[in-house]
Amino acid sequence: MSESSWHTVTIRVPFANPKHANIAMQVIDVDQELQREAVKRNLAVDGNDLVATFATSTVRLARLTTNGFLENVDLVARTIGEFGEDSERKPVLFR
Amino acid sequence: MPGRYRESPLKKPSRAYIALGLEGSANKLGAGVIKHDVDGSMEVLSNVRHTYITPPGEGFLPRDTAQHHREWALTVIKDAVAKANITMHDLDCICYTKGPGMGAPLQSVALVARTLSLLYEKPLVGVNHCVGHIEMGRQVTGAQNPVVLYVSGGNTQVIAYSRQCYRIFGETLDIAVGNCLDRFARVINLSNDPSPGYNIEQEAKKGKRLVPLPYTTKGMDVSLSGILTSIEAYTSDRRYRPQGEPFEESEDIITPADLCFSLQETVFSMLVEITERAMAHIGSKEVLIVGGVGCNERLQEMMGIMAQERNGLVFATDERFCIDNGIMIAQAGLLSYRMGFHTLLAKSTCTQRFRTDEVHVAWRP
Repeated sequence: MSESSWHTVTIRVPFANPKHANIAMQVIDVDQELQREAVKRNLAVDGNDLVATFATSTVRLARLTTNGFLENVDLVARTIGEFGEDSERKPVLFR
Repeated sequence: MPGRYRESPLKKPSRAYIALGLEGSANKLGAGVIKHDVDGSMEVLSNVRHTYITPPGEGFLPRDTAQHHREWALTVIKDAVAKANITMHDLDCICYTKGPGMGAPLQSVALVARTLSLLYEKPLVGVNHCVGHIEMGRQVTGAQNPVVLYVSGGNTQVIAYSRQCYRIFGETLDIAVGNCLDRFARVINLSNDPSPGYNIEQEAKKGKRLVPLPYTTKGMDVSLSGILTSIEAYTSDRRYRPQGEPFEESEDIITPADLCFSLQETVFSMLVEITERAMAHIGSKEVLIVGGVGCNERLQEMMGIMAQERNGLVFATDERFCIDNGIMIAQAGLLSYRMGFHTLLAKSTCTQRFRTDEVHVAWRP
């Protein structure tokens, strides 16, 4: 099946700044897609946004992949939301 | 123990080290903070856990378990850090369970670990779940060089340490003993709160009758799936009374309590046997029981009887450390971190199959 007849999904997730978007991209990119032959993934950062593009051979895979990605990005975004501010507040060390 | 004296490669640290450990390979989501101090002491600063408990008669599936972990991870981590009275900046490393376990739950925890690692610029340490249990058991009980019986819902192994490797002497050929117990608990509709194994243990105390079951040790290994089939078949037996009450007085009946009792006695005897074989093989006098099933007091009792006959000792921990937890991941992780090990972000994946003997135990002589 040629890739031109594949289904594509593009998802844009805005973050507070490019640094956070980059963190999200790096974190999610570590795991490979379960069906690498049938699902192609591309992650990129555009400004403050994480842009994810998926190409899948079936509609069902498009749904599953999108759902999985959104669950993961939600977790990462909530983690950054919860700890992001605190992580910027580096303690001053007195020696 | 035979063998010449080797100096420990792990020296007393020049400063205090603190590590956060994150665990989520099954239905328990745990976070713990450990401190290794300059005097060589290892202190548990916090150990927080939340368990995904399913209704009676149901097991936990990967998708729902992963969802539970995603919902609870941040709360549990914040709680652990607060209870330890530290900030995330104080950490030396962030340890997480690399495997073995269930894929989706493991990955959920790994995502959080990676995010924290990048936010706070702390190194990641991927930890083997089984090694975590062993190291926490050693630390809590002080056992020197025991034969380890690692029994939980996902794993059943007899392990002995030799030359920087935890070697598997015997194991289950099919399902884990905890899995066997939990699945039977589902069949008789026992509650999963706090855990099916705990409720089987309480039910077994009321048992009066030992029903015949297959006894399937296979050399140094055990097989449990056949026993599960047999014990489930008893619930179709004409003598079985699910309510535990006979229809008429002095009837020959089998109750759920009898089945729980019989199942425990049989599988625990098998575990004691294969542990004893390993002890005899390497000439050890100590047994350390780790893993969720290690909480079972009947198993501890039976192991104690065997050990006493060999003039040996049994070591076990309480449910804080037996049952999956984050502090054991922190402990094993910090030990390997102190020996120079860490996991690159690109390699911080999870794997469902991760053998105990794949780990290089650099911190032991």
